[in-house]
Amino acid sequence: MSSDSSKKRKPKVIRTDGAPQESKRGRVDPDQDVKYYSEEAEVELRDPSKDYELYKQTCQELQRLMAEIQDLKSKGSKDSAAAIEERRIQSCMYFMTLKKLNRLAHIRLKKGRDQTHEAKQKVDAYHLQLQNLLYEVMHLQKEITKCLEFKSKHEEIELVSVDEFYKEAPPEISKPNITLNEPHQQTLARLDWELEQRKRLAEKYKECLASKEKILKEIEVKREYLSSLQPRLNSIMQASLPVQEYLFMPFDQAHKQSETARHLPPPLYVLFVQANAYGQACDQKLAVAIDGSVEDAKALYKPPEDSQDDESDSDAEEEQTTKRRRPTLGVQLDDKRKEMLKRHPLSVTIDLKCKDDSELHLVFYYLLNLNVLTVKSRVSTAAELSSPVSAGDLLSPGCLLSCLYPGDHGKRTPNPANQFQFDKVGILSLSDYVADLGHPYVWVQKLGGLHFPKDQPQHTVTAESSLSASHMELTMKLLRTRLQSRLALHKQFASLEHGVVPVSSECQQLFPSKVVARLAKWAALPYEDYLELHYTKDVVEAGLAEDTHLYYTVLVERGTAKLQAAVALNPGYSSMPPVFSLCLSWKGERTGSNDDNIRAMESEVNVRYRELCGPRPGYQLLTNQLQRLCVVLDVYLETECHDTSVEGPKEFPQEKMCLRLARGPSRMKPFKYNHPQGFFSHR
Amino acid sequence: MDIQRALELLHMTVFSQSVSPCGKYLAAGNNYGEIAVFSLSAALSSEAKEESKKPVVSFTAHDGPVYAMVSTERQLLSAGNGEVKAWNWSDIVKKGCKEAWSRRPPYRSSLEVPEINSLQLNPKDNSLLLAGGDCSVHAMDLESGTFTHEFRGHSDYVHCLALRDQYQECLSGSEDGTVRMWDLRTGAQVQVIEVHKYEECSRPQNGKWIRCLATDCDWMVCGGGPALTLWHLRSVTPTTVFPLPHCQQHVMFYQDLILSAGHSPAINHLQISGELRAQIPCTPRSVHSLCVNQRSPEHKVAGCSLEGGGRMARGRGAE
Repeated sequence: MSSDSSKKRKPKVIRTDGAPQESKRGRVDPDQDVKYYSEEAEVELRDPSKDYELYKQTCQELQRLMAEIQDLKSKGSKDSAAAIEERRIQSCMYFMTLKKLNRLAHIRLKKGRDQTHEAKQKVDAYHLQLQNLLYEVMHLQKEITKCLEFKSKHEEIELVSVDEFYKEAPPEISKPNITLNEPHQQTLARLDWELEQRKRLAEKYKECLASKEKILKEIEVKREYLSSLQPRLNSIMQASLPVQEYLFMPFDQAHKQSETARHLPPPLYVLFVQANAYGQACDQKLAVAIDGSVEDAKALYKPPEDSQDDESDSDAEEEQTTKRRRPTLGVQLDDKRKEMLKRHPLSVTIDLKCKDDSELHLVFYYLLNLNVLTVKSRVSTAAELSSPVSAGDLLSPGCLLSCLYPGDHGKRTPNPANQFQFDKVGILSLSDYVADLGHPYVWVQKLGGLHFPKDQPQHTVTAESSLSASHMELTMKLLRTRLQSRLALHKQFASLEHGVVPVSSECQQLFPSKVVARLAKWAALPYEDYLELHYTKDVVEAGLAEDTHLYYTVLVERGTAKLQAAVALNPGYSSMPPVFSLCLSWKGERTGSNDDNIRAMESEVNVRYRELCGPRPGYQLLTNQLQRLCVVLDVYLETECHDTSVEGPKEFPQEKMCLRLARGPSRMKPFKYNHPQGFFSHR
Repeated sequence: MDIQRALELLHMTVFSQSVSPCGKYLAAGNNYGEIAVFSLSAALSSEAKEESKKPVVSFTAHDGPVYAMVSTERQLLSAGNGEVKAWNWSDIVKKGCKEAWSRRPPYRSSLEVPEINSLQLNPKDNSLLLAGGDCSVHAMDLESGTFTHEFRGHSDYVHCLALRDQYQECLSGSEDGTVRMWDLRTGAQVQVIEVHKYEECSRPQNGKWIRCLATDCDWMVCGGGPALTLWHLRSVTPTTVFPLPHCQQHVMFYQDLILSAGHSPAINHLQISGELRAQIPCTPRSVHSLCVNQRSPEHKVAGCSLEGGGRMARGRGAE
């Protein structure tokens, strides 16, 4: 009982009776100094399964006893107390057995636990060892791979191949006897050789740099010398200019011009070259020049990437601005139209000088997108021109060059492809813009070598110089003639507005010396008004009065007779004669439709124009026609047979000498004047 | 077309015309002395185009206006400045036709060449009567080409001639306002009618000139400055004055009608009673000559040749 202190169980069981213990504990310690009872040792000796059987038996006994006790108690007899007591003592003994067994079990358990724990600790220790070793292994492996991966810098250097090395390297470096055998030594040797070589090359490089510097300095010096030369050459050229002028060889000017000419677009270039050639060869009074900005011309042909960038930028900008400002469709179209009608910045100017010092200035422009040339004209005269009212259109830029060749009115673009371009931007016709752009006459295109065949529209029309050359001479002649005839008409109009028909001395013989009928009025007539007149219908129907013509109204008077005439002046005057239509108001209205003689008068002036041309070049045709008109009016009025039923003398006594007053079925009057006899006869 | 030709066309007047013997062609003479031959069959057919209305051939015949033309059985006679030329109809449609003959009446004065205003054929004795600017009527024998008679009497130039077949007399109307009758055999002046002195027809504001004459032996119609009047020749009285305000330039008897045309764009169909039966409008404004194509049964058309742009217009006969 106190030897239970070897156990760790603290609570002590207080036994009420010191009943004899089980015999199973019956070992008695002989020695008092070493008297301990080791239940642990006992545990090892006993068999657990037997203990288990014992436990089951004990439990059964206890149950039996308890049952008997209960029975006895329930019977309640007096001698049962002893039996109960007996049974109680027995059950106490059984209880002690149970306690023992319990202790043994506990001891066994503890032992088992200790053993397990020990083993487990051992296993843990081994496990830890294993982990450590594994870790170390891994570490070592990493180190190994690191070592293996190590690249020495020497491998990055490209070395010459082995063979080359042995060839080139001197033997003290290559040491073939050693290196051939040992790759390590070989590599070392190679590296040495490499180092050697590189040192040498570095030296060379330094030398080259030095020489380059020197050469650059030399170049600088020479360049400065050249740039100092340029102004000196310029001054020499300037100095030579007076010499050139003196010798009539303007090389300088020509050179400058041909420089600028290089930037001209092809049609203008053709025009320039041909006009220059013609001027030098045939016509000393023709001067050709180039106007405009060469920088702008160069700017037109920027490299494509730049222009594309600019385009995309400007597109982006445009988009932004449209989003912000929302300009109307009209403004956008307007811009597009302007773009379509853009001119090349350079223009060619041709000045034609005439004998009387009047000049025709022509400026030729090239429209980039439309591939047509246009021309603007201006007239300058030696003396200031007085402007008669009716002569407004004669020298105006719009009409001056109209119909230089028949039908070439310059109101429409000669390039048929332009129509499609116009449709895109809403341009109806080029005629709306001619005031600004100039006229696109066909002869201008021909001078620029551009030919637009009507029946076979070509894809691209290029400038041909042969076309220009073949038309140059005739066109220049026509231009001069046109200018001269217009100036002549201008002068004539000034006189006509004052009621005087100017007849030159060479033409006096065409007319009798005394002409009574007077020119009372000379004025310009708008085309629409001309069409409205009833006596001009025949001329219009015959196609002799078009909208490119100029129209005038004339009033010739004698006494009560008034002769009105409408004149259709062809722009090609004087090779194309003016056409007169007459209406006589005298005792009724007589026109060509109701009076044969009025028709004859018209015929005298219109059909017989060749007699009235006067001296070459025939600019006096109009005034001679007017004079003849006055003469035939005189004849008409004086030869009219007297109406005997009316009282009073003849209004117009006959003063003209005539052989016969009437002839033929139409009773024609004698309108033909015979010089120098001075009488009138029939044709 | 060049400007000269265009102007000429504008001022062209066709004065005379004549139908070919076969009736298929029409020749016209203008004031420039040119003769143009048109194909009637082509121009009047149902599929006629603009081209078919142009002349088949045209050539310059005279150097003065062609004021009169007549056709014989085989030839076309045209009168220009003081001369008569004959052209063979068979050759005329070919290019480069030359005249068969050309004759000049004997003129007294040589100052000015007088025009020939009227030609009249006298089939009975195969002679041609011509009259014109020299104020007299000449008679020429067509076979020999000699001038047999000269009838003098007019004081001013002769406009027109008419033949009174039955009596072998010819009538001439003149600028001096008289109509004179001449005996073709004797050459004497039979009668003078001073038309302008008769009040019924005289129109002094127009003048006294007699431009056109037509006769069918008993009757005569004449006009010009005075009004168009029908005269009874035996009694020499004006029976009917036709109500036409314009001066008439050509008049002819046709069946029972009198056709006339003048300074107005119309052909007048008049009845002998004096009624204006019809007035056929025509294109140009003044008519110089009328002729009826009797010879071709298919193309029985009254052609009128006129002035005004040198155009020819057709007016259908009132059938």
